[in-house]
Amino acid sequence: MHAFDYQAPTTLREALELLSKPQQSARPLAGGTDLIDQMRVGRLTPEVVIDIKKIAELNALRVDSGGLHLGAAVPCYRICSERAIIDDYSALVDSCRIIGGVQIQSRASLGGNLCNSGPAGDSIPSLIALQATCLIAGPQGTREVPVESFCTGPGKNVLRTGELLIELRMPRRAPHSGSHYRRMIPRNEMDIAVVGVGASVQLDATGKTIVAARLALGAVAPTPLYAESASQLLAGQPVSDALIAKAAQAAREIVKPISDMRGTAEYRVHVTGVLVQRALQAAIVRARGEACDYRPGH
Amino acid sequence: MADIQYSWPDRDSSKVIGGRQIRLDGMAKSTGAAKYAYDINLKNMLVARALGSPHAHCTIKSIDSAQAEKVPGVVHVHVLDHAKPGREIRWQGELLVIVAAETEAAAMEGVSKLRVEYEPLEVFVDEFNLEAAKKAGRTSKDGGKVQLEKEPGDDEDEATFADKELERLFKQSAHVVEGFYGIDAITHCCLEPHGATVYWDNDQLIAYLSTQNVSGTDEGFANDLKIPADKIEVRCQYVGGGFGSKFAPDYWGTAAARIAKATGRPVKLMLSRDQEFKLGGNRPSAYLKVRLGADKDGVVTVWDSDHWSSPGADGPGVPQGVIPYVFAPKNYRRAVTKVTTNNGPARAWRAPNHPQGCAITQTAYDDMAARMGISSYDLFLKNLGTDDSPGVAGAKPSVYAAEMEIAARLIDWKAKWHPHGKGARRGDIVDGLGMSLHTWGGGGHESTCTVKIHPDGGVESFCGTQDIGSGTRTVCAMVLAETFGLGVDAIRINYGSSRFPVSGPSGGSTTVGGVSESHRRAGQEALAKICEMVAEKLGVPAAELIADDGRIKARGDAKKSVAWKEACAMLGMKPLEVTATFRPSRNKSPLSDTKVGGVQMAHVEVDTRTGLIRMRKFVAVQDMGLIINRRLAESQIYGAVIMGIAYSLFEQRISDPASGAFLNADMSKYNLCRLGDIGEIVVEMYEPESERSRGVIGLGEPPVIGPGAAISNAVCNALGFRVPVLPLTPQRVLEAIKNNAGRA
Repeated sequence: MHAFDYQAPTTLREALELLSKPQQSARPLAGGTDLIDQMRVGRLTPEVVIDIKKIAELNALRVDSGGLHLGAAVPCYRICSERAIIDDYSALVDSCRIIGGVQIQSRASLGGNLCNSGPAGDSIPSLIALQATCLIAGPQGTREVPVESFCTGPGKNVLRTGELLIELRMPRRAPHSGSHYRRMIPRNEMDIAVVGVGASVQLDATGKTIVAARLALGAVAPTPLYAESASQLLAGQPVSDALIAKAAQAAREIVKPISDMRGTAEYRVHVTGVLVQRALQAAIVRARGEACDYRPGH
Repeated sequence: MADIQYSWPDRDSSKVIGGRQIRLDGMAKSTGAAKYAYDINLKNMLVARALGSPHAHCTIKSIDSAQAEKVPGVVHVHVLDHAKPGREIRWQGELLVIVAAETEAAAMEGVSKLRVEYEPLEVFVDEFNLEAAKKAGRTSKDGGKVQLEKEPGDDEDEATFADKELERLFKQSAHVVEGFYGIDAITHCCLEPHGATVYWDNDQLIAYLSTQNVSGTDEGFANDLKIPADKIEVRCQYVGGGFGSKFAPDYWGTAAARIAKATGRPVKLMLSRDQEFKLGGNRPSAYLKVRLGADKDGVVTVWDSDHWSSPGADGPGVPQGVIPYVFAPKNYRRAVTKVTTNNGPARAWRAPNHPQGCAITQTAYDDMAARMGISSYDLFLKNLGTDDSPGVAGAKPSVYAAEMEIAARLIDWKAKWHPHGKGARRGDIVDGLGMSLHTWGGGGHESTCTVKIHPDGGVESFCGTQDIGSGTRTVCAMVLAETFGLGVDAIRINYGSSRFPVSGPSGGSTTVGGVSESHRRAGQEALAKICEMVAEKLGVPAAELIADDGRIKARGDAKKSVAWKEACAMLGMKPLEVTATFRPSRNKSPLSDTKVGGVQMAHVEVDTRTGLIRMRKFVAVQDMGLIINRRLAESQIYGAVIMGIAYSLFEQRISDPASGAFLNADMSKYNLCRLGDIGEIVVEMYEPESERSRGVIGLGEPPVIGPGAAISNAVCNALGFRVPVLPLTPQRVLEAIKNNAGRA
């Protein structure tokens, strides 16, 4: 690994100043589980690494009347152990429990997973399904960007030089809501998704009709996708196998997967349909307050 | 002194042998105190990194190292002989130039500054595609054999007779199956890459080499470096995996020695992970087309197969001798074609050729059971034959039959087996059971051991062996502890140096058999000498003395005894040193034997919509003669089964057909098992007195042979049709489902 400087600011202002310093390449470090690996193989060679874990705002985690506020550096294990998130934002917990193993989950953050902007990032479809927005701070102040608009290509995103992702915000969950994330990997754990699907549904009080839904897809296009038409066709419809199959078909139609050693495009399109059905079914079960029979992995 | 009758204590009187002693170096390994070749850091040491060929097939036009030499910290640039301009390179990753520097970072930067001009040549890596290989001129006949009960007449052409006779036999068969089966190439994937840390002490070369052949690699260095072998010491206390790929210093090992000589400084050169995948060894692929015929009872009487196999650019492919595997039909024809590709050359991989033979032939036997609508268990049982008239090779039919019964009980075969494809569905999930048989030699290798008993009672041994995962240190200590009636902590085992008495390489599951032979022999001989001294003091014939519980005692009269230390004090000022050698011969040794058999059964579930296979349970029943350490023996089997699950479901070398590049040459893309992929593994040792009395037999390799066939057969039992080629990736499973639409 190349030689680099390390800074650990304790305030947001200090961090933004360091990020904006001209004539030096800088990278923020949260858990470092992607960054350090990429530096080790020489894919990234920042001159300075800015550890953001000591900044209070980036470690905040609270659920209030406005919804969920998740500091960009909050590690996965904290998300998994937060009762309010387990109950209301289940898809996030599904994601956090399958990102790497215990050691990785103790360090890795959702902010880092999003900023790494891999098409197969396991938290991103969940964030999109849960309607998350990114709070970004930079030299020009702050701005908000919906998560589905954050990634612009493999490893690329909307962050400009000097900007830092501070927080992920998710609106308060409506009653009778449920969400779920699942992925297809060739093995049973700790692997890169061949397809990932995040689903969120809101049912009516009877639990028989979908009021609103959001579906998101990972690893099937250069960026994670919000499956808008598939989501919209579910809204206002009674829950049925036929409806779920129709949504799965709509989702299959928007994916543009590549063929690589982990799966052909045809295979990924097929699995997208299967996982959309399974993710929706699990989200519906959860929205009804029933136990979801889900084994992480597929 | 009377001739020593070498023997093991019987089961009831064994105090240490057969126990569950934990590894004596387990703590050192788990805390990092154990130093592998990769961990050796010497004062003033240079770190070397190498440039590998980016092309799978090319000639070298020129090499310019000027910029590399200017990198701060770079001390030496070494161009390998086979990389000189004009030379042909036949696989990707082949090392060309080595850069030695003050730090690893400087060495890597130096490598990045090397400028090499290549002339790319035509590439072929599609070993699966026999027709393409023929078209590319990459095939050659690689032996074959015909055996028929009926012999041709004097005037008949043998080939024509074979054609006619096989056709007649197939017509006579009550059941005929035709099938295609395959298993892709995999790599050894040693966690510790190949490599060495070396230094010169005047004209003596000291090499800390990651090797499974401590006593045999000094010759390799000597031959390459043109120096006498007595000027070389190879050291290796711990090996981070070898699996058959680490028997020689390799050209990078001798290059490190040359660089150390040129610079006058110690040098560490370990392959990078990417290079380890490409150069560190691989197991040949094998693909087979077969027709087999059985009588009305399911006994296979005729086998006609044609298989092709690729060892990459060099080396032997899978031979006809493992076709079909274990089963020995009375009539067969087996033809073999070798396919040469632009992949790195194959090396021996744990039980060379047996896993492939098993995977591509016992699947065909299972398909025969499916065709007949009978249980695979019944068909396998019928094909065993009897001990007087065996239908199998290797272990006795009665051993396989007994092991099958145990395995069936452990996996609940009777309750859980269903006809192929007729199991109950749980949503998209179907379950299946499959089985396989395997055999292996495992006779001990030649081994010499010196046992030294100090007057203060201390015991140590010296042996030029190594621990490739077999638990060698613990095994040796247990053998001597049992022999001297002491605890294992009282024994010091010295191994891992070519300066010690010669012991064989750890290959062929020969280590535990070899070292337990030499240690027991030396131990018994040393004990006899101690007993001779004690005999006089106690007034008891030496032959009536035994070592037990820290004392030398008269057999049957506990009052007549002396403490071990007291007995050793009789040596006076000088320690007692005894050297003994075991040389395998045709005569059966009382301490060890050869040939084991094993039975494995798998229970899987298949997701018919994603193609994902999940292991539910795997049962391994294994015979290995006398067990020295039950825990370590089980550990070997667990490891082998996990390795087997990996190559059955996940592992494959993926090459880009256009460039020949090895696409998944890193640990994140080369899929080994995660813990969640393994399921429940049940290991059962088959050790009745009839087997125990045979003595020690190695078992490092046998249990890795069967998982491919057992798992493939289980998947076939679940789905009702075959997924023909291993690994059984989700995509291959879905393709098979698509090709058999309506049957899943």
